[in-house]
Amino acid sequence: MPPPPETPSHIIHPISSLSPPSNSRTWQSAPHPTLPLIATACSDRTVRVYSLTSFTLLHSITGGHKRSVRAVSWKPGVKGQSVLATGSFDASAGVWRRDERGLEEGYSRRRESQDDDDDEEDDENDYQFSCILDGHESEIKSLSWSPSGQYLATCSRDKSVWIWEELEDDNFETVAVLQEHEGDVKCVAWHPEDDLLASASYDDTVRLYREDADDWVQVAMLDGHKKTVWWVEFEGSGMTAKDFRSEGESLSEERTHHMEQMKRRGPRLATSSDDCTVRIWHRIPKGAPAQASSNTGIPSIIRSMATDEEWVQEASLPQRHDRAVYSVSWSRKTGMIVSAGSDGKIVVYKERWTNQITNGVKADETTGLESANDEEDAPMTEWVVIAELFSAHDVFEINHVCWARRCDKGRRSEDEEVIISTGDDGEIRVWTLDE
Amino acid sequence: MEPDKDNANPTILNPSDLPSRRRESSVKKREDGGTGLFDDLVSSYNYLGDPFERPVSSSDSDDDSVEDIDEQEIYDLISSISDPEHPLSLGSLAVVNLPDIRILPPTSPHSSISTVVVEITPTITHCSLATVIGLGVRVRLEQALPPRFRVDVRIKKGTHSTDEAVNKQLGDKERVAAALENGTLMGVLRKMLSTCE
Repeated sequence: MPPPPETPSHIIHPISSLSPPSNSRTWQSAPHPTLPLIATACSDRTVRVYSLTSFTLLHSITGGHKRSVRAVSWKPGVKGQSVLATGSFDASAGVWRRDERGLEEGYSRRRESQDDDDDEEDDENDYQFSCILDGHESEIKSLSWSPSGQYLATCSRDKSVWIWEELEDDNFETVAVLQEHEGDVKCVAWHPEDDLLASASYDDTVRLYREDADDWVQVAMLDGHKKTVWWVEFEGSGMTAKDFRSEGESLSEERTHHMEQMKRRGPRLATSSDDCTVRIWHRIPKGAPAQASSNTGIPSIIRSMATDEEWVQEASLPQRHDRAVYSVSWSRKTGMIVSAGSDGKIVVYKERWTNQITNGVKADETTGLESANDEEDAPMTEWVVIAELFSAHDVFEINHVCWARRCDKGRRSEDEEVIISTGDDGEIRVWTLDE
Repeated sequence: MEPDKDNANPTILNPSDLPSRRRESSVKKREDGGTGLFDDLVSSYNYLGDPFERPVSSSDSDDDSVEDIDEQEIYDLISSISDPEHPLSLGSLAVVNLPDIRILPPTSPHSSISTVVVEITPTITHCSLATVIGLGVRVRLEQALPPRFRVDVRIKKGTHSTDEAVNKQLGDKERVAAALENGTLMGVLRKMLSTCE
């Protein structure tokens, strides 16, 4: 029962392709946490680092991996240098460093000498291989640093998720090997505030893990997708103060209540799947007035262990993809979601208030009913498609899509974001979202 | 025949019973003075190297080149793949069959992406090579067809004991990509596809 499609209110406008493109499949791109850079994992065993100011190639990281590089992740919170982790089909992960002091100078020098491989300056300018993380038995599919930079999570076709802790520079210790999944683990992602890790799998499930008395354990399993879950990503921190909820006049009691509820739940989770859907999940907060459990009459000691969390599906986004959705990204500025996949489409979704009866009156009359429906029914918000682009990479599949801060000369505001898509054609394309 | 083959005595179709629209012209060739002796030995699909270079047939000669690929052509591309354990083609073993090939047009007027769905019939229900055969079909089509085609290869329902698991693997782009970086497997595939060119 999809709602009647509305005319999208925005258009996805091309601003540039990163140049030169790779001549083989590109898998995934990661914008640098602070600098105007983006790293792309390529099937030619290299990583390409492009400038998001000039849209040109700055570095090619070669010679490290023996097979396709499938995933890249920048370590957050590092000063004076950039640290990049790479995960490959060769079953290993690499950690690379580059000194970023005197950055601007380095860039211009590098650009002038780009074709001159023998240049002595290249060595100190390049990304230096610093260590290799061995342990997985087969292809690494994804990897991700925790927001604090303390942990690196990797996952593989060997069905396991590994958590590595960097004790000191280049000294990594395996702190957990999680083997809950029954199939390839496709993607790992960290919660923006807590040390909570999510993984998505070929077994159609998503699992969440936390540290409990020195052991990392599974605390929740999200079951709902009908096929492989390709991507998982948490919402940004404190989004109710940034997204559409922060706009407009004074809020009704109902909406204020909804926002308080959202704050208690914390950041939500978005997943995308081979079943062509994108779904949103949230945590049922503990100690909150949990009507559902008190209604069952089951003592809470039986219901769950101390660390277990209950996550439920909150919404399924309007379905616009007709093949696997490989990637979904949640803007940390606006709360909008972008998705892309095998059908070559890029779709942007926005959440908004539902136009229900409400506005105080109804809620006052039926206070009892209102609270009984706390966790279900009559959603306060809905997701709508605001932009849709066909054939974003000509006829090729799109393997990854994400939001990044806009850094080029055409930037219209400090906060403006671009959409970056990475395709089977070896192209990384940059798009703006225009009304 | 080696004793450890999954199916030592497969049913083999006569090449002249295989679907082809080229039969008429090869008959004509014979009338032109050919001996006909080698017709059964020389693959009738030997134009497979670059099938899109030449017009499909004279009646199709208008300039609308977008939809000039039909099920027969898909069949021609994959029926000549060799079985990994028999010195025979997938067509003659009836692993690939013309009625089990479908071409789905783009789902939207804004899209130019068509989908090719091929259902393969393994020679026996527990054939352990079903995945390799499926992979060979997928790779062959991905290499030969223009990139606007998405290729979905599946095991025909009810013909294989683990068809769902095999289908899931064959549909997983990342697994297929990784498999193609595996030297041993690529060797097997290269041998299977060597009869196509």
